[in-house]
Amino acid sequence: MASHVCECEVERDLYVPRMATITKIDELTQMEKLFRLEMNDGVGLAQQPGQFVQVCCFGIGEAPISMASMDDSTAGFDLCVRNVGNVTAALHTASEGSIVGIRGPYGRGFDTEDLKGNDILIVAGGIGMVPLRSLIQALLTDRQAYGAVSILYGFKTPAEMLFAEEVGRWSELGDVDVHLTVDRPHPDWDGHVGVVTTLFPELSIKPNQTKAIIVGPPIMYQFVITEARLKGIADEDMILSLERHMKCGVGKCGHCQINSKYVCLDGPVFTYSELKYMWEAI
Amino acid sequence: MTLQVISVDGIRALLSNLIREGRVVAPHERPGDDQYVFDDLKDPDDAVLRYNSTILPAKKYAFPPKESLVHYELGDEPTATPVVQAEPLTLFGVHPCDIHGLLALDAAFADQHPEANYLEKRANMRVIGIDCEPDEYCFCASMGTASVETGYDLFLTPLYGWDEFLLEVATEAGEQMLEGIDTRDATGPQVGYLKMHLNRKMQQEREIHSDVSNLPLLFTGFADSPVWEKHAEKCYGCGTCNLTCPTCFCFDVLDEMDLSLGSGDRVREWDGCMLEGFARVAGGENFREERAERLRHRFYRKYAYLYTKYGMPYCCGCGRCVRQCLVNIDPVEVINDLIATHREGVTASG
Repeated sequence: MASHVCECEVERDLYVPRMATITKIDELTQMEKLFRLEMNDGVGLAQQPGQFVQVCCFGIGEAPISMASMDDSTAGFDLCVRNVGNVTAALHTASEGSIVGIRGPYGRGFDTEDLKGNDILIVAGGIGMVPLRSLIQALLTDRQAYGAVSILYGFKTPAEMLFAEEVGRWSELGDVDVHLTVDRPHPDWDGHVGVVTTLFPELSIKPNQTKAIIVGPPIMYQFVITEARLKGIADEDMILSLERHMKCGVGKCGHCQINSKYVCLDGPVFTYSELKYMWEAI
Repeated sequence: MTLQVISVDGIRALLSNLIREGRVVAPHERPGDDQYVFDDLKDPDDAVLRYNSTILPAKKYAFPPKESLVHYELGDEPTATPVVQAEPLTLFGVHPCDIHGLLALDAAFADQHPEANYLEKRANMRVIGIDCEPDEYCFCASMGTASVETGYDLFLTPLYGWDEFLLEVATEAGEQMLEGIDTRDATGPQVGYLKMHLNRKMQQEREIHSDVSNLPLLFTGFADSPVWEKHAEKCYGCGTCNLTCPTCFCFDVLDEMDLSLGSGDRVREWDGCMLEGFARVAGGENFREERAERLRHRFYRKYAYLYTKYGMPYCCGCGRCVRQCLVNIDPVEVINDLIATHREGVTASG
């Protein structure tokens, strides 16, 4: 029987990773390393900013990791990995030339077409800068398609700032307004002090033509959303990216489910208006 | 639909033929207690025709507790190849609730990324359904799953006395299985008995105080109900309800290396949303830390989220979850409690 089970074409390679070689490793902080990888078959991932891949170290397992770079039409891409679990710990012991498995890219990323023509306010908290970097790269590649671009980036201590050099270059471009802050005073820091929301009062934005893209730890969202609302930004113009532990990445395993949504298929990027009535989301 | 009649001897002869042909799975009585399990059938006489429920549903043959998804070989040039295990299998003696369970899994595994591991097992599966007498835990009448119209090749309904069965042939594969087996056309009264059987089956002690199709709408008002906490208070968070459920299909993925450390398999294992770590992420944040949140999620998934997504409840009313629950958390009681509490709330606030 079973012909009626599914008329569809089954995906035999659904869970099979493609091989990629680590070509460069930069130690960004004590916890985070930036890996440059290259697909062994020479076929790039053609990822959308904000999508994720399932990265595997054979014998250890798989973990979902955000794309840290935009698609540059090559077979290469960046992943920034914090050492917090089994797979990420194994990645941190890898060296240049090591081979890992990659599935994806998966999920709904940032829709740059929808962002075009708007002012862009980017709010990054800590490791939230990783998926945002892929978006910022895409914005800067097509800079004239967007209005004013502001980046608010907060981190706990100066040593935990990611992509410091690159962020420095963004602020020197002249057409990107970069504001940095650390949570608490620190001897190595003479810039702004306070959580990322403390950057909002000095901010001048045109709410009707601004899209706010907010990515950070769960605790940050409610506070930033409140500030963004006070600035007059509509809920559907706030764009967030959520973290969940996807085990499959393809809408089967159930781990990333929030209400009726699968973060791996329907997200990880959502507008706040999509999330605000979903409990457990943020 | 033409119905035939087959005797118990005819069924044993059919099973005997099927065993000669290939792998057959049927309900067995487990020695030492009065519980039943699906297991490989070696002797046609071992197949139990009349039973309340098996410990685990028939889904374990389409979605095994553990299976390899990918095999990999390490070395300078690592390779990864898909593992799709699917062999012809005849499932005998499946109750309508379990068939509904399989139909629910079919929809989920075929959606968006049709998964070979599950779907190819299903494509290699023949199903012979059998009707049953509900016990005190069953609530299929409330879920609309007491009878089934698709998802089987042959279906048996016991006639009075259980020594003869009405036989419905639903597919060509079903017809082929019957070659050389004695059957005769059902008489008018025998066909009439089918309706009587179903009517009797619909008389169940436990019923949900709402039409099943209203549940997704009703659930839109239950998110903040105190009922979740009330029932979750006694929950051990052991996940037995997940593991025994015909429509639960969450899984974990992990790597298992061979002893040589030169190769290994990426396997999946059943997981459960009632287990504490299910929604935890790498940094330690747990998005459903409380048992009440997990209980609520489980119920919403069954009666609202997946119901809305696939057009069928992800609960087939088999009662396994409460039958096996150590503290008797009963979906019928929880849902009725939600409905009652919600009504009071609506009345109280005018």
